[in-house]
Amino acid sequence: MNQYAGISLFDDLLAEPLNRLAEQAMGEGRVPVGYTCSYVPETLLSAGKLFPVRLRAPGIAGTEMADTYMSNVICSYTKSLLEFAIGGAYDRLGGVVFTANCDHMRRLMDNLEYLRKPAFSHTLDVPHKRGGPALDWFTEELKMLADKMSAHFGVSAAGDDLAAAIRSRNAFAEALRAIGDLRKLDPPLITGGEFHRVMIASLVSPKDLLMPLVEDFRRRAVERGGVGPYRARIMVAGGELDDLSFIDVIESQGGLVVADRFCTGSLPGLEPVPESGDPLRAIAQHTLYKVLCPRMMEEFDEREEAIRQTALEYRADGVIIQAIKFCDTWGVEGSTLTAALRSAGIPVLRLEREYRHGGEGQLRTRVQAFIESMGK
Amino acid sequence: MMVAGCDVGSLTSKAVIMGDGKIVASVIIKSKARPGDSADAAMGQALSKAGLSMNDIACCVGTGYGRDRISFVKEAVTEIACHAKGAQWLVPSARTVIDIGGQDCKAMRLDARGNMVKFTANDKCASGTGRFLEVMARVLHVELDDLGTLSASSRSAITLASACTVWAQADVIQHLNSGVPVADIAAGINSAMASRMSVIVNNIGFERDVVMTGGVAKNAGVVAALEKLLGLRIKRVTRADPQLAGAIGAALIAGERAQGGKS
Repeated sequence: MNQYAGISLFDDLLAEPLNRLAEQAMGEGRVPVGYTCSYVPETLLSAGKLFPVRLRAPGIAGTEMADTYMSNVICSYTKSLLEFAIGGAYDRLGGVVFTANCDHMRRLMDNLEYLRKPAFSHTLDVPHKRGGPALDWFTEELKMLADKMSAHFGVSAAGDDLAAAIRSRNAFAEALRAIGDLRKLDPPLITGGEFHRVMIASLVSPKDLLMPLVEDFRRRAVERGGVGPYRARIMVAGGELDDLSFIDVIESQGGLVVADRFCTGSLPGLEPVPESGDPLRAIAQHTLYKVLCPRMMEEFDEREEAIRQTALEYRADGVIIQAIKFCDTWGVEGSTLTAALRSAGIPVLRLEREYRHGGEGQLRTRVQAFIESMGK
Repeated sequence: MMVAGCDVGSLTSKAVIMGDGKIVASVIIKSKARPGDSADAAMGQALSKAGLSMNDIACCVGTGYGRDRISFVKEAVTEIACHAKGAQWLVPSARTVIDIGGQDCKAMRLDARGNMVKFTANDKCASGTGRFLEVMARVLHVELDDLGTLSASSRSAITLASACTVWAQADVIQHLNSGVPVADIAAGINSAMASRMSVIVNNIGFERDVVMTGGVAKNAGVVAALEKLLGLRIKRVTRADPQLAGAIGAALIAGERAQGGKS
């Protein structure tokens, strides 16, 4: 499947943990703040001169140093981040914000604070349930983070300033959503690989600086017309996925990725944050209700329904559930989800992977066999 | 009409030529360093055996890990789909197929028409693959093909403590050093192999008839141990060499394509 030549602009933005747009913003006195989880609201990290950068370890070749600090049953995403951190890759960040969402992330946080002593670090405690008390709690958590950021960085993360950040966020999310919608068409106007690049770039770049590229991409994609040929329409679900090759390999076997539901994907988090009422509470509510992560309790049915509905809406022929090896959260979810989706008549392929790209031959064979098993 | 299938595996490469629903010629060779060279050699020998040239072949399908590197095929299909197709031709009542390849092992479920509807595979670790047996045969200084027959004379099979190929190898060396009869060690190796296989077969859920393909299907020790673990009789392949199942499946798919079947 051919990709639009201009997509290489996005590739360039994904080759380093801090790309040229981040460098440009830093040159203008703005401050990047790193984060690792979808429960850290990007909008809050966009207050004043701050901009959020989702931590990645692009091109990592091994985790020799991190292996000495983290056990061999820790996921390779957190280990890769620690390896990059030890090598100083994140030293120019103004700070980092974590969540205490899984033990692997906690160990990363412990080691990073111990080994690199970031000037600013904060860990958000996220409730495992939703509802009124949980929302109060999470709003309070965000308030503590906002106050701490205000004190440390001298930015205003409240009131009208935060409301303005919400409006900017919503405008950008709408631009992404419009691109994502191009996948609903038959044939889709963009490949899953292209969309993945745009999404990841949006997580690691100052959004205002990226916006012209995003708009240009959409315009060219519409002008170009449909992509293809393809054998099957695929939805990818699961945990953290910022390896660009993964979706490329799926598409090389004729499985056009038309929908996604993973931590670093688009669905359903691109919906607007309410622009009325208390901005902090609006952000808390949007985050708690839209992320749909398996770390939340008593919400399996909703998560499964979201995937089924998305597969239906985007006319996906099958779902690939991917997770990094040793991810406890998705390891458990993957089993129940696979059974539930299959019971609903949706073909499912479950794949375990490492953070860095590898095992391409096996991946190709499994994906091709999956498509063959659907009679495509 | 002549059609062909070429299965380039990690250890062996196979070529099958079929005409009128029968095998006209087949070849199994050791794979070379380059998949393209393996395919050329295997198909060249098969054509020579049949007294044909490539121009006589209406359609050829490639499979195996080297399938994308075969120059003369119309289409590359996974070994998973090809083994399923081939197994169904070899044993029409097959509903579950177990294939142990050189570097992976997989189990497939077929519907009543022989279409592959479900599969699972272990391709992350040498344990439970042909490579496991190859390593163990080398440690025992016996031919790979003899592992199965050797275990028939075992009186007290050893147990391998680890599923890991490297640690199991250390176990085997320890038993050899302690003077344990080679037959008992061979039986333990075959049981360990069967044990790993049973995990993926149970994982996919098996339905009768169960058929084994791939080179390891010729190891009577592994087949017997797996039958014991699964509690059922594995249907023996007699129509052709079970190691040819992938290439046969590829040839059958080539036949469908030649008649305008979906590609």
